[in-house]
Amino acid sequence: MSKVDQFESVFRAASKAVYHLDAPRIRKVLLVTDFDAKTAEHFSYENHQFLAVIEAIEPDSVTWDTITGDEYANIADLLERVERHKPDLLLTYRHLKSDAWKWPFSLGEYLDVLTQAAGSPVLVVPHPSEGGAMPHAVSDTDVVMAITDHLTGDDQLVNWSARFTAPNGRLFLTHVENETVFEHYIATIGKIPSIDTDDARESIFAQLMKEPTDYIESCKGVLDQSDLAIEVLPIVTIGHRLETYKKLIEDHEVDLLVMNTKDEYQAAMHGLTYPLAVELRSIPLLLL
Amino acid sequence: MTALLTQAHDVDFGVTLLFTGLLVAMILCLAFEEKIHAKKSVIVGLFAVISLLLGTAFHLLPFEPIVIRDHEIHLPVFIPGIDWNVIAIILGSSLFVDVTSKSGLFTWIAIKLTKASHGDPVRLLVLYGFMTVVFSAVLNNVTAMIIVGSLTAVSLEKLGRKDKLLGFLLIEGLLTNVGGLLTLISSVPNIIVGTKANISFLDFFLVASPYVLVMTIVTIWMGAKFFRIQGLKTGEERARARELVGAFDENDGIESKFFFWFGAVMLLAFVGVIASASVLPWIKELGMGYVAMSFGLIMLLRYKAVADRFYQAVDWDLLGFFAALFVVINVMEHAQVLHLIGDGLAKIIDLGPTTGAGLVLGTAAVASSVTDNIPLAAMLAQILGENEAIAGDPDSPFWWSVIFGANLGGNLTPIGSASTLVAVTIIHKHELSLSFARFVRTALPYAVVQLFFATVYVLLFIG
Repeated sequence: MSKVDQFESVFRAASKAVYHLDAPRIRKVLLVTDFDAKTAEHFSYENHQFLAVIEAIEPDSVTWDTITGDEYANIADLLERVERHKPDLLLTYRHLKSDAWKWPFSLGEYLDVLTQAAGSPVLVVPHPSEGGAMPHAVSDTDVVMAITDHLTGDDQLVNWSARFTAPNGRLFLTHVENETVFEHYIATIGKIPSIDTDDARESIFAQLMKEPTDYIESCKGVLDQSDLAIEVLPIVTIGHRLETYKKLIEDHEVDLLVMNTKDEYQAAMHGLTYPLAVELRSIPLLLL
Repeated sequence: MTALLTQAHDVDFGVTLLFTGLLVAMILCLAFEEKIHAKKSVIVGLFAVISLLLGTAFHLLPFEPIVIRDHEIHLPVFIPGIDWNVIAIILGSSLFVDVTSKSGLFTWIAIKLTKASHGDPVRLLVLYGFMTVVFSAVLNNVTAMIIVGSLTAVSLEKLGRKDKLLGFLLIEGLLTNVGGLLTLISSVPNIIVGTKANISFLDFFLVASPYVLVMTIVTIWMGAKFFRIQGLKTGEERARARELVGAFDENDGIESKFFFWFGAVMLLAFVGVIASASVLPWIKELGMGYVAMSFGLIMLLRYKAVADRFYQAVDWDLLGFFAALFVVINVMEHAQVLHLIGDGLAKIIDLGPTTGAGLVLGTAAVASSVTDNIPLAAMLAQILGENEAIAGDPDSPFWWSVIFGANLGGNLTPIGSASTLVAVTIIHKHELSLSFARFVRTALPYAVVQLFFATVYVLLFIG
C-alpha cells in the first residue's frame, strides 16, 4: 500500500497555501514609556517620523496616545491602562523602569509580559538611552524583513510586514530552516536501514525549501497586484537561525524586523523570537 | 502449446479427486489470504510445488521435449504451462503505467478535474466517478483506485468534508470493477477470457461500453442518494470551496514539460496500438504482451540510469501469483480436474444461452465475491475453451457471462477484488470504520443492480 501514500504525498504537495491580503487597520497607537511627559513627547515625535508609513494610506487617521512613567507603578497597572486604551499597536522599548538595558541579556519584565498579555502587536524600538541603533534604522521602514521558521500559510505575519513597508520599499519574506534540527533528523534517519539517507536528505531538504518558496510566490503575486507598491523578495535557506538572521539584517540594512511571539503550546515567548528580541537591539522589532 | 501438454489421458478418479481437493484448498487459502497473513504468490506457489510433485509422482505430467519446427526444446515441465502473453501484458503495462505516472500526467488530469468541480461535492463525485472508470479502463483498476482514492482523501480533507470520505471511496471502489469491464486490458479476467475467446480489443470495447456508461451513471446516482452527497447551497459556500480547490497546483508534479507531453502521447499511442493489435501487421503476430513490454521499455529510457527502481516497484507478488496459478491449472488439467468441473459446467451450458449463460454469470459473480476472480476466470476460460460450440465463437454469451460475473462479483464483498480491497485499505488508513459485514450491507444494493443489469444485458444484447 505504499503507493497510496506515494500518491497522497503527490497530491498534498500539489495543495498549496495561498496568501490572502488583509492589511491590518491601525487606528490607535499607544506609546508606552518610562519617561516624564516632556521626554515622552519627544520620543513620540521621533517615532511619528519613523512610522510615517502607517498614515501613508489614510493621512491623519491614526490617534497617538502616550503612557508616561508616572502613570503606572507595576505591571498590573500598566496592563490595566493598556486595556483601557485598546490600541491597535503598542510602541515601546526594552527594560522599562530599569537600567538593565545596559546588559543585553533580557527584555525586561514589563516587555516580557506586554508581548504575551497585550492583545495588540508590540513594536520595540532600540532603547532611547542606549544610542546603539543602526544608522539606517529608526528613520523609515523602506526595508522590512519578516522572519520565521515556518512561513508557509502565515498570512498574518506577511500582512503586518506588508503594512509596515513604506511605499516603494522592499519586503523580505524569509524562512530559515534550523540546520541543527535538520542534521539531527538526518543523523537519526542514517541509523534506520529501511530509509535511504542520501535520498531522505535530498527529498526532505527540497520539500522544506519548496513550501515557503511556493508560498512567497503566492504572496508576491498578490502583493504585486495590490496598491501597496512594495517589492517582495524571497529568502529561503537553512542555517543556524540566529547567526543567519543577524547576517541577513546586516547585509540588507533592515529597518524593521517582524516576527511572531505567541506560541499556542506555551505561555512564554515563541522559541526563536526571545533570543532574537534580546540580541537584535540595534533595529526596531515588530512582535506579533 | 498448452493443448499439446494437456492431451487427455486416463487418470484414476481418486487421483482426480485428490487434485480437486488441492484446488479447493488453494481457493480457500486465497479467500482467507488476509487471515493467514500470506501473499498470493506464496500461497499459490506452494500449491504449485505440491501439485507438480504429486503430478510427477502419479505420472500425470509430460516430460517429453517440446518440438517446434523440428527443433527439440527442453524446458522444465512447469514453464510451457504458463501463459507468457498474459504475464508480459501485466509486466509491461505495470512498468508503462508506473513510469508514465512519473511524468505527472495522471495527477495533472486528476487535479484538473478536481478544480473543474469547483469543490462542489456532487460535481466532485461525478467527475471522480468517471475518472475512476476511465483510469480503470486505461490503466488497471488497482492503480485507478490508488490514484483516485488518494486524491479523494486529500481533496475532501482540504474541503473539510471528510465525513463524506467513506461514501466517495466506496463508490469509487465499486466503480473500478465497472470500469474494469470497459476494455480488454482493463482487468486480468478480461485479458485471460478475452484472449482465450479471441475477442478483439475493439469488439470488447463496443460490447462493454454501453453497459459501463449506464452503470457508471446509475452507481453515482445511487451513491449520491445513499450517502446524502449534496451540492453546495449558498454563494459563500461555493466561493470558499472554489478557492480551496483552486489552491491545488496541477503542474506541481510535472518535472519536465517534455516528459509530460511524451507521456501523454505515449499513453494515447499505447491505447491505440493495443486497440489495433489484432489487425496491425507484425504486431498481430507478436501479440499484446509484446506491445505492453515495448511501451514499458520505451518509457524506461527516460530513467535508464535508475531503471532498477522501477523493477523494484513491479508487483512481483502478482506476477508470481500468475505464474504459479498457470502452473497449478496446468497440473489440474493433466489430473482431469478441469474436465470434472467442465462436466458440471456442461450441465449448466446445456441449459442454453439464456438460462445457462445467466447461471454462469451468477455463479461466477458469487464465486469471485469470496475468492480471487483471476483463478476463477482462468479456470472457466480453460473449460469454455474446451467446449467446441463455445471455443470458436467470440460472441458466445458464455464468455461474457464469465467476464461480467468475474468483474462485478468483486463488488459483493471487500475481498472480492483487489481494487475494492485497496478502497477498504484507504478507508481504514483514514480511521473510518468499515467492517466486512458493513461493506457487504452497503455494497449489496449496488452489486445487485449491477449484476441484474449485466444479466439482462448479456442475455438480451450479446450472442
